[in-house]
Amino acid sequence: MTTDNSTNGATSGLGAAAPVIGLTEVSKWYGNVVAVNDVSFEIGPGITGLLGPNGAGKSTLLHMMGGLLRASSGSVSVLGEPAAGNPEVYRKVGIVLEREAVYGSLTGWDFVRMNAKLHGIPDADAATKQAIVRVDMEYAQDRLTGGYSKGMKQRIKIAAAIVHDPQVLILDEPFNGADPRQRLHMIDMLRAMAREGRTIVFSSHILEEMERLGDRVLVIVSGRLAASGDFRAIRRLMVDRPHTFRVASSDNRRFAQALVGDAAVTAVELEGGQLLVRTNDYGRFTLEAPRIAQSAGITVRELAPSDESLESVFEYLVAGVRGGAGENS
Amino acid sequence: MILLIASVTLRQVGRQRRMLLLVLLALVPVLVSLLYRFAATDDAPDGHIQFASGILATFVVNLVLPLSALLIGTSALGQDIDEGTIAYLIAKPLARWKVIVAKILAGWVLTFGVVLISVVGTGAIVLVGEDGFSLVPAFAVAVAAGALAYVVIFVALSLRFSRSLIIGLAYVFVWEAIISQFITGVRFLSVRAYTVGIADGLTEVSTDILDRSLAATPAVVLLSILVALGTWYSVRALTRYQIAERV
Amino acid sequence: MTTDQGSQHAQTSDASSSIYDLGYRRYEGARLGRRQAVLALYRESLRAAFGLGRSTSAKIGPAILILFALVPALIQLAIAALVPVGEIELTSHHDYYGGVKFILALYVGIVAPDIVGRDQRNRSLTLYFTRAITRYDYALAKLAAMTTAVLVITLLPQLLLFIGNALAVDDFGGHAAENWDLIFPIFGTALFGSWLLASIGTFIGAQTSQRAFATVGILVAFLLPLTVALVVVQEIDGGWTDLFVFISPLDLVDGVTYWMFRVDTQPMDSIVAMTDYALSWYAVAGAAFGLVCTGLLLRRYRKVQA
Repeated sequence: MTTDNSTNGATSGLGAAAPVIGLTEVSKWYGNVVAVNDVSFEIGPGITGLLGPNGAGKSTLLHMMGGLLRASSGSVSVLGEPAAGNPEVYRKVGIVLEREAVYGSLTGWDFVRMNAKLHGIPDADAATKQAIVRVDMEYAQDRLTGGYSKGMKQRIKIAAAIVHDPQVLILDEPFNGADPRQRLHMIDMLRAMAREGRTIVFSSHILEEMERLGDRVLVIVSGRLAASGDFRAIRRLMVDRPHTFRVASSDNRRFAQALVGDAAVTAVELEGGQLLVRTNDYGRFTLEAPRIAQSAGITVRELAPSDESLESVFEYLVAGVRGGAGENS
Repeated sequence: MILLIASVTLRQVGRQRRMLLLVLLALVPVLVSLLYRFAATDDAPDGHIQFASGILATFVVNLVLPLSALLIGTSALGQDIDEGTIAYLIAKPLARWKVIVAKILAGWVLTFGVVLISVVGTGAIVLVGEDGFSLVPAFAVAVAAGALAYVVIFVALSLRFSRSLIIGLAYVFVWEAIISQFITGVRFLSVRAYTVGIADGLTEVSTDILDRSLAATPAVVLLSILVALGTWYSVRALTRYQIAERV
Repeated sequence: MTTDQGSQHAQTSDASSSIYDLGYRRYEGARLGRRQAVLALYRESLRAAFGLGRSTSAKIGPAILILFALVPALIQLAIAALVPVGEIELTSHHDYYGGVKFILALYVGIVAPDIVGRDQRNRSLTLYFTRAITRYDYALAKLAAMTTAVLVITLLPQLLLFIGNALAVDDFGGHAAENWDLIFPIFGTALFGSWLLASIGTFIGAQTSQRAFATVGILVAFLLPLTVALVVVQEIDGGWTDLFVFISPLDLVDGVTYWMFRVDTQPMDSIVAMTDYALSWYAVAGAAFGLVCTGLLLRRYRKVQA
């Protein structure tokens, strides 16, 4: 996996060409519930992934980027134009939503063709054929979409979204329910499209999917932007931050003494009956600590991370991102 | 574009189970008319005409028409909203009014088709060869106008409320069926009254029900205003439409 | 997870897999049987019908309709309180249902979907049918709950009316003693009518999980035959065409009410008066109608995929 520029996604806004998708201080709230909280970022050509747990606000952001939802405050722009209230923008934008909705009474062919016609494409039949071939649905194009399996519906939705050859493609959880073969096929297809210079944004809550596809990633947690940048770097960051462990053993003091001797440990603290150990090297510590205990003849009764919550990860990430603005990949 | 969207809507709505039930509903007055034709023993001079105008102006206009328009009109666009397929209509460089017109057109065609069964069936059975046959084309046109008005209302309702069916039901059963009938002052706000008024204006047949109705000209004018306002509102609502978050 | 680093209780030397005791506890207590399950279902359905346990707006519908149904009786009560001169009859026991028939139809239309409609989502029925209750138990429990719910709106007004009439005459005890023979028809008609309307409402409500459709369907099922019967009986003098009165459940309830109260002359504008059938036929037709609907209801749940 090279990070060659043709698949670069999100930029940090330093002197790059005008971003394809730009969000500026965007918030969205429903009554008292804040779905998206002051989010700003820019997306350029290539594949960008939106990563975050369920309910984090990824769908909301994608809907706003797709002009289907208006921001409560802030602005969303696509290709220089406002995203919402602007039907013309859809000439260049294709959207694939998460819900399984298709017009069940139409055949696959008719469904994609309808979308082609509604986009005003002069030669709708040719475009339809091209799109259907691209998603590998020729074999089922004459069947009613109402009878499609979930994966087939997903692919025909993608065909409908790319039939007008859009420059920007937005996909909400495209891998939901896809079997491994479909997943691979979709990954290849999206990569090919990205190489053609398109901008692709997709969302997922599964780390592994990001790994395969999204070189650039935006991490959304509780409606806020928690991290952005190269996926692997972020992953390392999430693991390589300082950790604190809570230890209960048969002899805390002796254990602390032994642990301090190891390079992975940065601090130990004895408090009441508890031992807190701080470390900068998660991997090394988890390997060494049991060995140290064993050679010192100490029984470890409990060894648990004490700051594993998403909040602490998030706090760390946000501090890191804000402090290290301009960190490119 | 409009025809394309309308034809897809026709297929989507027309294939629902409720269409069959509505057709059965539309056949009820036809069956009652059959019963009348073959079982009635009295031969009052204009008995046929009285019966036909009664059935048409009450059963068909009060029950078959609004119920059909309700079930069809709320789902013309409502189904897209509920299922999420509305995204395919609005994420397009397509003028919103075209979408609305297409939906209203599809709803209108389906509703009119269903109610026409009642009108033509009743008329053919009861009035064939009689003086009062002009009631049939008169009510056919009137029902077409009424169907348009109802569908416009229900499409607008489906954009505004997620529980449009219940609200539409309340409108049909409370406002149209009860209040506007018993309080003559508000007749001018009732689609039912417009429909009967238009029918009255198109036929020289004179029965109690028709005579008591709204005059034809105000009926047409008010109905047109209603259709225009309703369509305008729907276009506006669709322009501002925001996709609902998944529950 | 196959290594022992960082894990708390696993054995280090054991290479094979094992299942850990995480402290799940089994339920060792008493298990009530099928009877209790059915009663619980009945109780919960009844609570759902009146919106208990849900938001206020769920309680409004049935509550308002019950209130409306009580209005004629309340007025009678008011008159009795203000003008204690003999018995002024605004409405009588046997005419009551005819007057409130729209309210009854609306009530069933609103309550039935809450009783049977909601279970049809998300494969909840599958869960029910893997418990101690049988399919028939489920259907009958629901029907019983619905009947009880309708009983509230049919019985309450009648009882209120009875009390009102007794209060109008200054001698409460005496009036009650004189008219105690009304008690049986009051309960009888209420029970029969409730069961009949409930069986129709429950059956239709069980067809769809969407409340609005069920409500529309139920309203049509009550009001369509009512209108048709009225039209046919009034406009068509065909002799046998009068049989159409038997397709309308609301009219059947009327007829049975007249029958139980032994009223031989009915108000002129009631359809029962227009047709000349012996009142007992209404009971027969009503019973048949109710049994058919109940049977259809049972059949409907028999076919649900488990």
